Amino acid sequence: MKDNIRIWFDSLASKKDSIEKKPDEFDAKKLVNIYSIKTPYGKRFAPEETFNIGKLDSEKLSPPYVLKVCSSDILHKTEMQGVLLNIDKESVKNNFKTMQSRFPDKDILVENQTDFMGPEFIIGIIKDPALGHAIMVGAGGVLTEIYKDTSFRLAPCSVNEAMDMIDELVISPIFENFRGIVLDKKKLARTISQVSKLAHDIGDELSQLDINPIVFSKGEWIALDVKVVLEK
Amino acid sequence: MDKIESLQNLLDPKKIAVIGASNSKEKVGGIVFRRLLGSRRRLFPVNPKETVIEGHKVNSDISSLPDDIDLAIITISAKASIQSVESCIKKNIQNYIIVAGGFAEVGDVGIELENRLKELAAEHNINILGPNSLGIFLPDENIDTIFVEHGDKALDRNGRVACIVQSGSVGVEALGYAANTGFGMRAFVGLGNKCDLDEIDFLHYFARDEKTNCLGFYLENIERGRDFLQLAKAVSKEKPVVVLKAGRTKTAVSAVSSHTGKLAGSDNVINGAFRQFGIQRVFDDEEFCDATKVLSMLPGAPGNRVAVLTAAGGYGVMCTDFIEKEDKRAALTMAMLSENTKKNIKDATFSFTACENPVDITASADDMMFSLSLDALIEDSGVDIIICIAFFAPPGITENLIDIIAQKIKKSDKPVIVFTKYGPFTDNSIKNLYYAGVAAYPSVGRAVRAARFLVERTKIKKRLGLEI
Repeated sequence: MKDNIRIWFDSLASKKDSIEKKPDEFDAKKLVNIYSIKTPYGKRFAPEETFNIGKLDSEKLSPPYVLKVCSSDILHKTEMQGVLLNIDKESVKNNFKTMQSRFPDKDILVENQTDFMGPEFIIGIIKDPALGHAIMVGAGGVLTEIYKDTSFRLAPCSVNEAMDMIDELVISPIFENFRGIVLDKKKLARTISQVSKLAHDIGDELSQLDINPIVFSKGEWIALDVKVVLEK
Repeated sequence: MDKIESLQNLLDPKKIAVIGASNSKEKVGGIVFRRLLGSRRRLFPVNPKETVIEGHKVNSDISSLPDDIDLAIITISAKASIQSVESCIKKNIQNYIIVAGGFAEVGDVGIELENRLKELAAEHNINILGPNSLGIFLPDENIDTIFVEHGDKALDRNGRVACIVQSGSVGVEALGYAANTGFGMRAFVGLGNKCDLDEIDFLHYFARDEKTNCLGFYLENIERGRDFLQLAKAVSKEKPVVVLKAGRTKTAVSAVSSHTGKLAGSDNVINGAFRQFGIQRVFDDEEFCDATKVLSMLPGAPGNRVAVLTAAGGYGVMCTDFIEKEDKRAALTMAMLSENTKKNIKDATFSFTACENPVDITASADDMMFSLSLDALIEDSGVDIIICIAFFAPPGITENLIDIIAQKIKKSDKPVIVFTKYGPFTDNSIKNLYYAGVAAYPSVGRAVRAARFLVERTKIKKRLGLEI
């Protein structure tokens, strides 16, 4: 296992309330960052931590903000009112308090909100009982399970193989400058290949991974939400 | 000799012992023994209750066999099989085909018996095919141990497809089907329960076998999945690998807490994995035979632009629909014919011939018109594949067309696939076309699908070639 992955696992183990070493969204994002996958700039606040706007500025956070409940126990944040979007500087303090009162014992994640064009994608990893880790790319977002527009390969997969995966999607014509939308297909393929390497490097300990959505913003693919499930 | 090389003696044995050979024509031991009579191999029946079978002196026990037997075919019950294998090992017999069922597929008692076979295979330098194996059939080698009726007589010699099947009945039906319409079988291997030899061993073996140019597998579970895929990828650079994978395994329970887990299903993973590793996937026995047939007869397709030549307008239109239908396996497109091609076809046929693709030379056409039109299409650089819709309706179009098309195909570097129907004689027409070297199918959909297999094959070769 790579050194920086080992360090990541160590950081999980040192989390005080996390005996089961379950990674939350903030941890999961740190993991994909190791593989050069970009995530919005953000800061995680512990439950007892008080909100301080000065702290936000100094952490390179700027409005509009996104506030998210940050816990490995919550599967669907949106349904539990655990996500607040488009928060400006003036209202951030109150909104932060609202979140803390909704989830008194959970961490809160404050992030820069990402501006993006074009559709949302999903990149995921599962462990097939017979064949091991498989990587998926698909039309993402909250409706991903309705679209079922996905394609799979075994991990690790090359950039060329990832290009084939994208080509298999119903949504793939979006990369042909559809209605003026400009998306970098090769960069998405590189990201897919990187995620597959991550799964391959971690090996058996990784059970599942979802990056959903991943969006194209200012020339880069940004993972807006990342979920990692480790084997128990 | 490594394990794979040693399979030569399993598939082409000189001396064969049949344990449980019988005078009864109903018993498996009786059927298998009689099948082998035509093999021109030395046969050694073993059965304490028999003295002579079909003129062959019967050995009363295994210990009285000579020391240089290549293959023992065990046709007795599951429980008795174990003891027989143990005795055969003492006689240094290396290869076994175990026919009996009643092993792991029936539960605990059977699992115990099968584990014993696994132990024997692991402890000794032996190869066991089965148990619950349908047997082997290599037409060129005159070896046939399959105890149920199959279309052996109708299968062509010099066949080049190796079929490795896990299930007996699917295998036999595929054989029968293939035989009816012409099919070149190099080898048929019934894997059965795979206590020792499995698909990877035979993938290795037939990849090296010079007489094989296409491998087809029917599998319900893939042992050592990653190893199989890796090897298939290496093999498919040289020879097409077709897999019919039946049975969908459940996704692990742990995988349902993510979107990906919900979207996966093992079938999607298999689909992706097969594409990644250069395997061409099929979904039933008909498709299995259709794919292996065309892939063993034609090397691939230079591109995906299809020209359709027909004497029956309706089928031309239908064919166009099938070609333009979206298909993830391989996209096909209707070729744009050059002005020169259109002129040549008109000159060869009628001034009213519809020369836009599909080319409809009408029911008034004769063999010569069909032939010259085919020439024009083969010569058109905008055409990669030709589908001929040939209905043998004398006096215009006759069965002479078979030889005409065959001659042209031999000279052409573009694949030509034929769709034909001839009422109750359809199978026979297709078989005659096969013997002339032409891949033909009895429906528009299957002819077009065959074209897709060729395009898919070329895509795989290109993709795997790029990665070296």
